[in-house]
Amino acid sequence: MLQLYRMAYRNLNRNRRRSVLSSLAVSLGLMLLMLMAAIVRGEIQGSIQSSIKLVSGDLQIRAASYVEAKSSLKWEDLVANPDALAAQVETLPQVSAATPRLFATAIVAAGNLSSGVQLIGIDPGSAANAPFAGGMVAGSLLTPGDTEGILIGQPLAQKFGLRVGDTVNLSANTSNGDVAQQTFIVRGIFSTHTPTYDESTLLMPLQKAQAFTQTQNHASTIFVLLKDPDQAQAVAAALRAPGYQVLTWQTMNALTLQTEQLANAYMLVLYLIVLAVTATVVVNTLIMAVFERTREIGILAAIGMTGRRIMVLFLAEASLLAVGGILFGLVLGFLVCLYFEKVGFYVGNLGTTGFLLGDRLYALLTAGDTINLMIAALVITLVASLYPAVLAARLEPVEALRAE
Amino acid sequence: MQMYLRLAWRNIWRHRRRTVIVVAALGLGLGLMMFYDGMIAGFEQAIYGNAIRVLGGNIRVHAAGYSASPDSTPLLPLPDDQAVLRAAQAIPNVVVASRRINTGGLTSNREGAFAVSIIGIEPEREAPVDVIAQHVTQGRYLTSGDEDMILIGKGLADLMDVQVGDRITLVGRSTHNQMRQRTMTVVGIYSIGVSSIEQDTVYISLGEAQYLYGLPGQATEVVVTLKKLGEEPPVIRSLSRALPGYEIESWAQAFPDLQATIGAKNGAMTAFSVIILLIAGIGVLNLLLMAVYERTREIGLLGAMGLRPGQIMALFVTEGAMLGLVGVAAGAVLGLVLNGALGVVGVDYSRFAGMTDYMALISGRVYPTLALSSILSRGLPVLLIAILASLYPAREASRREPAAALHSV
Repeated sequence: MLQLYRMAYRNLNRNRRRSVLSSLAVSLGLMLLMLMAAIVRGEIQGSIQSSIKLVSGDLQIRAASYVEAKSSLKWEDLVANPDALAAQVETLPQVSAATPRLFATAIVAAGNLSSGVQLIGIDPGSAANAPFAGGMVAGSLLTPGDTEGILIGQPLAQKFGLRVGDTVNLSANTSNGDVAQQTFIVRGIFSTHTPTYDESTLLMPLQKAQAFTQTQNHASTIFVLLKDPDQAQAVAAALRAPGYQVLTWQTMNALTLQTEQLANAYMLVLYLIVLAVTATVVVNTLIMAVFERTREIGILAAIGMTGRRIMVLFLAEASLLAVGGILFGLVLGFLVCLYFEKVGFYVGNLGTTGFLLGDRLYALLTAGDTINLMIAALVITLVASLYPAVLAARLEPVEALRAE
Repeated sequence: MQMYLRLAWRNIWRHRRRTVIVVAALGLGLGLMMFYDGMIAGFEQAIYGNAIRVLGGNIRVHAAGYSASPDSTPLLPLPDDQAVLRAAQAIPNVVVASRRINTGGLTSNREGAFAVSIIGIEPEREAPVDVIAQHVTQGRYLTSGDEDMILIGKGLADLMDVQVGDRITLVGRSTHNQMRQRTMTVVGIYSIGVSSIEQDTVYISLGEAQYLYGLPGQATEVVVTLKKLGEEPPVIRSLSRALPGYEIESWAQAFPDLQATIGAKNGAMTAFSVIILLIAGIGVLNLLLMAVYERTREIGLLGAMGLRPGQIMALFVTEGAMLGLVGVAAGAVLGLVLNGALGVVGVDYSRFAGMTDYMALISGRVYPTLALSSILSRGLPVLLIAILASLYPAREASRREPAAALHSV
C-alpha cells in the first residue's frame, strides 16, 4: 500500500502542472462552498443577534395572559411591581441585566405626516438598553424623570424631517381603551443600524410611559440578558412561577430559526452545482490522463500489476489530489471567510421581508459547516474518480502497449 | 482559411475520445452554470415576487405630480384611468392591470386607534394575482359591490381584538385634507405571516373608496402586475410611450431599499458565479493542455510536411475554437433543457419549511428561469478560455524542431 502511494505521489509530481491545476480546482470549489455557507449562516445569526439585543433578549418574563401580538395594556395582562421583580432577577448569577419594558401601539404625528409606531417605555439607565445609549446619533439619552421627552429612530426622524428639540404629537391607547394624547419633545435620535426597527420605534422613560397609558407600576415584560445565552432554558426553568410565563430566545425567534432551515435547503442546490462543476472538471481530467498514460498502464500490467492494483494506484493518485486540494481549500476558505467576518458587506434595509437585520452582513464560518462541506467535497471527488480508475484497470496489456 | 476549417474539423472527430471528453467538460460546466443562474433568478422570484405584489405591484401608474406631493398618498386622480387600463392591457407581458385608490387614516374601536394605509381595490380584477386574496383565512375576500365592508390583516385583528362580522370605525383622509369617518364591518381577515404588513394595511372596495374620499368614478393609481420580477423595464417603456404625462414607476423606484438589497444579494451571487467560472476555466485549461501536448508527434509530422509554425498554431487555435463552440452548444442545450424542465415543474422546497406562516409570502416551489442571457455571459468566457488554452501549447509545440517533436513519445 505504501509503495502504491509512493508511486502515486511520484506520478503526480511528474506532471506537476496538471496535478496542481486539478488540485486547485478542488481548492477553489471548497473555498467557494465555505464562503457561501458562511454568508448564509452569518445572515441568519446576524438577524438572531439583532433580535436578541433589541427585541427578544435572552429571556422575557411576562404575565401568563400576555399575548405579544395584542400588546394589551390591561392590568391583568401586565407584570406588577416590575422594578422590584427586575432587581430580583438581576441578582441571579447567570443574569447580566434585567429591565422592565412597557409596549404600547401609538401614532406619532408631526406636521401633516403621521405614522404608526411601537412605543417602548424603558429604564434608560439599565445595561440592557446599551444598544440605544451607544447608538445615539444626536441629542442625549433620556433621564428617568423626564415627562416630555422621547427618543426617535433615525429613519423616522428623516421621514418626518425632525431634529432634536422639535415637538411631535403622540396618541396612544391606554389601559382602559381610551386614547391619550400629548405633545412631546424629541430629546434625541438613535440608530441601532437595524432600519426596520429604527423606523417604527419610539422610546420614552418607563415612568412617563406608565403614566401616559394609565399602567402605573406595571410593565409588559421583564427583558433579561444572560451572560451565556445557552443557559436560557436552565434559567427559564428556575424562574418559572404561577401567573407568569417565561420565554426563551429560542421560542421568541422560532420563525427565524425555521427560516434558517429553508435558507439551507435553498443553498443545497447551489452547493450541489458547485460540487458538480468541480467533480466534472476533476473526472474529465482524470479520464484524459488515463488515456494519455495507456502505454504506461500497459507496461505496468505486462510486468505483473493486477487490474485491481492499477485501479488502487489511480485511486491513490486521485485521493492525493483530493486531499491536497481540500487542505489548500480549507486555508483559502478560512482566509476569505475571516475577511468577510471582520469586514462584512453592506446590504441596506432587508426589513420588508419581516427580518430584523443590520445594514451590514457578516459571514460566520462554523466548524460544523466546514466539516460537512469538506467531507462532501472529499466523497464526491473520490466517487468521481472511481470511473477513470476502473477504466485504467480494464485495459488489456497487449492492446495498451500497442496503443499510440 | 477553408483548409484550416476542414482540417480542424476532421482532426477533432478523428480524436473522438479526446473531443468527447473536452466537450463533455465544457458542456457540463456551461450547463451547470446556466442552471445556477436560472435557480438564482428563480429564488429571487420566489422570495420577493409575492412580497412585491403585496407592497404595491410590479408597476404603478400615477397622475403627474404624485411623487412630488409632500403626502405619501396624495388623492390625485388619474386624468383618464380607462385609457391607462387599456394601454396596460394591450401589452402582452401584463397579467392584470387594476385601479386603486390609496389613502391613509386609522381604524379604531374600544381597544384603541391604529394607523393604517387604506387601499380601495377592484376585487374581481385583482383576485387572480392578489397574494392577499389567496390568504384570506377568515371570512371572505371583497367583492366590488361591498358597501361598508373592510378586509383587515390578522395582526390588526389581534390588536383590535375583532372577528369577522365585528364593526370598527374607519377614518380616512379624503380630498381637501378632510377626514371622513365611517363604520365598517369586517368582512374578512387575511394572514400572510408578516405582522407589520398585516397591521398596516386595510382594503375596501374601490366603489366605497370613491364614495368616501371624494373621487367619484376615479382612481388615484393603476397597478400593473407582471408574471415575473425583472420584466418591468420594457413594459415601462411601452407604457411611457402610450401614456405621456403620467408618472410610471416600477417597484424598484418605489422601494429603492428593496432594490438595493436584491442588488446586493445578486452581487454576492454573481461573485460566486465568477468563482464557478474560474473552476470550470481551470478544468478546460488543464484538459486542452493535455490534449495538445499529447499530439506533439502529430505536430512534428505537420512541421516535417512543411507547415510553418504560424500555420500550425492557426490550425490548433481553430481546433480549440471549434471544441469551444461545440462544447458551448452542448452546454447551452443542457442548460436550456434543465432549466426548461424544472422551470415548468419547479423544485419543491415545501418539505423543508415547517413554516406554514411564512410560506404565504415565500413560494414553496422555485422555478428556475431559462437564463438565456447566461449562454452569452458564461459561454463567451468558456469559449475564450478554450481558444487561449489551445494557443499556448500549440505555440510551444510548433516552435520545436520537427525532428525533435517526432521523436517525443
